[in-house]
Amino acid sequence: MLEVKQVSKRYDGGRGVQNIDFSMQRGEIVGFLGPNGAGKTTTMRMITGYLYPTEGTITVDGLSVHDEARRARAKIGYLPETPPLYPDLTVEAYLKFVAKLRGVPAREQKLRIAEMVSRLGLNGREKQSVRHLSKGYKQRLGLAQAIIHQPDLLVLDEPTSGLDPSQIIEIRSLIRELGENHTVLLSTHILQEVGALCDRVLIINRGELVMDGAPDEIGKRMESRFAVSLEVRGERRRVERVLGDWASARGISAEIHRDAEGREAEPVEAGRVLPQDDNVSAALEPELEQSVPEQTAPDETSSVPRPVQAEQPVQSASVVPANSAVPADPASSADGSVRALLTADGHEDFRVELFRLLAEADLPILELHKENLTLEDVFLKLTADNAGSSPVESEAETAAEDFSVEAVSPESPDQTDDGGERR
Amino acid sequence: MNRILAICGKELRLYFLTPTSYFAFAIYVLMSSFMFYVDFVTYQPSVIDYRLILGDMLFMLLIVVPILTMRLVSEEFRQGTDELLLTSPASVTEVVLGKYLASLGVLLMLLLCNLVYPAIMSLFGTLDMLTLWLSVLAVFLMGAAMMAIGLFASSLSQHQMVSAVAGFVLLLMFWLTGTLVSQNESLAQWIGPFSLPDRISNLTKGVINGPDVIFYVTLALLFVVLSIQVIERKRWR
Repeated sequence: MLEVKQVSKRYDGGRGVQNIDFSMQRGEIVGFLGPNGAGKTTTMRMITGYLYPTEGTITVDGLSVHDEARRARAKIGYLPETPPLYPDLTVEAYLKFVAKLRGVPAREQKLRIAEMVSRLGLNGREKQSVRHLSKGYKQRLGLAQAIIHQPDLLVLDEPTSGLDPSQIIEIRSLIRELGENHTVLLSTHILQEVGALCDRVLIINRGELVMDGAPDEIGKRMESRFAVSLEVRGERRRVERVLGDWASARGISAEIHRDAEGREAEPVEAGRVLPQDDNVSAALEPELEQSVPEQTAPDETSSVPRPVQAEQPVQSASVVPANSAVPADPASSADGSVRALLTADGHEDFRVELFRLLAEADLPILELHKENLTLEDVFLKLTADNAGSSPVESEAETAAEDFSVEAVSPESPDQTDDGGERR
Repeated sequence: MNRILAICGKELRLYFLTPTSYFAFAIYVLMSSFMFYVDFVTYQPSVIDYRLILGDMLFMLLIVVPILTMRLVSEEFRQGTDELLLTSPASVTEVVLGKYLASLGVLLMLLLCNLVYPAIMSLFGTLDMLTLWLSVLAVFLMGAAMMAIGLFASSLSQHQMVSAVAGFVLLLMFWLTGTLVSQNESLAQWIGPFSLPDRISNLTKGVINGPDVIFYVTLALLFVVLSIQVIERKRWR
């Protein structure tokens, strides 16, 4: 369907893409991932024929995008990052123009436009001028523009950027629907989107393709640890003691997260689980998500030293209390529940053992979940590895802002902090 | 051809959906009618001749043409719609020709506005119809060349204002070559023929002079081709 062979594009400034090489089968939905400026848009523009590659060839169904441009382009539908709309035209006039431009036969045009309008939920807006459409509708119109000529290959550059959550869901389901009849290449920097939509992921970093595979497969391939997150009902101290003892008994130098007010976790050796316990747990909020962005800490916790992100051991057991009742006195909050994240090197499954341990201790497990290496982790690994000698700062910053990763890549916590403050 | 017409249709539609073209038309009609008043009503010539008022109207084109052409390509770049055009099956040649065709349509409308004056003149005497229509043709040819220059200027920048100024400067250069070098005999021989308004005199006299017509046509062609090249070049960057 689509063959991209050893394609490079060099810009004046030196950046661009080098030796991109992949192919797509008919009916595939492929996600194209990468930090900002990695070369996603450049690659897509070359595929659609907007730019010509400096080296290499791109063929769609055996037709060179460059040499047989007209026929190749007729097979491609393209939604650029900003939908290419004429604000002065009405929705109908715009679609009509695109249909003519894309060579939709005259007698089919009306039908096709009506189909686009109903399919993308633009009903009742045909006579509205594009200028007055909301962002979501503009995106839909952009999508309509890309599929009006029923292309074989659909290239979408960040189709869900700038949309609100419900619109994102709509567009995604639409893309999934389109994926049944079209081959879709979509770029995004929202990683969940790839997991939700794509059969295959291409990760690009600094102009080079660094990973190609199915989303879950990629996670497995890069997996080097076994992680379990669990929620245990019981008194906080006891849970911590039981888990901590067990962790150190297994030779795990564990780390305890004390997630106070959404701050970064504080690493503590498993042996000394409860140093400032009274002080901290009084300020705990119920059910704190780890990914909650940094908030200003209230006064009680200001005495707690600012968490330092050091190089952390891979094996860790982190215990995050998540009491549902306000834990005024930690000793009395027997009804509370504690969240923990246990991580071990290798692939040994310790879940059965863990269950027995907690059952014996009469600590009911409310939730037990095996953590897979997420695309975020894969992504961060890949992009961080490749950062190499070049400035790590920008890389970590991009990663942090794009993927809202809760645990910052350990190499560069300082830079990210700086970034946060600067912004 | 269909694609050329599609783009032409879109451009014409946009011409009449944006205030800029109304503004340009307003300036043109206002100024030309003012000049008509000065040339015809106040001056009260003894002959009824379209050419009496033609010169001043030509000058108006110098201002109006860049305003009308500045949008053509610049706006596509600014809105990102060039990505639609350049990834569509239409070639750059088709895109540019479509746009040029639209600008010629607008030029024709300007000329139609201008025909009001000979109509008024004809009430006071008989007009030589042949010279009238030849003059209109001459103005159209010159305007067509000017539109091509404006189109080229528009493809240079994604800012309409820059395009308009560039177009105006280019046109002014072609306009003034005749007068600027008239002192220097040998220079005038070389550069003089490139003057836009000087070439028109034969046609308005009723003489269809081959080189004059060819000059305008080639000038138009040259700048259309240049525009195509400028846009095509963006693919390589």
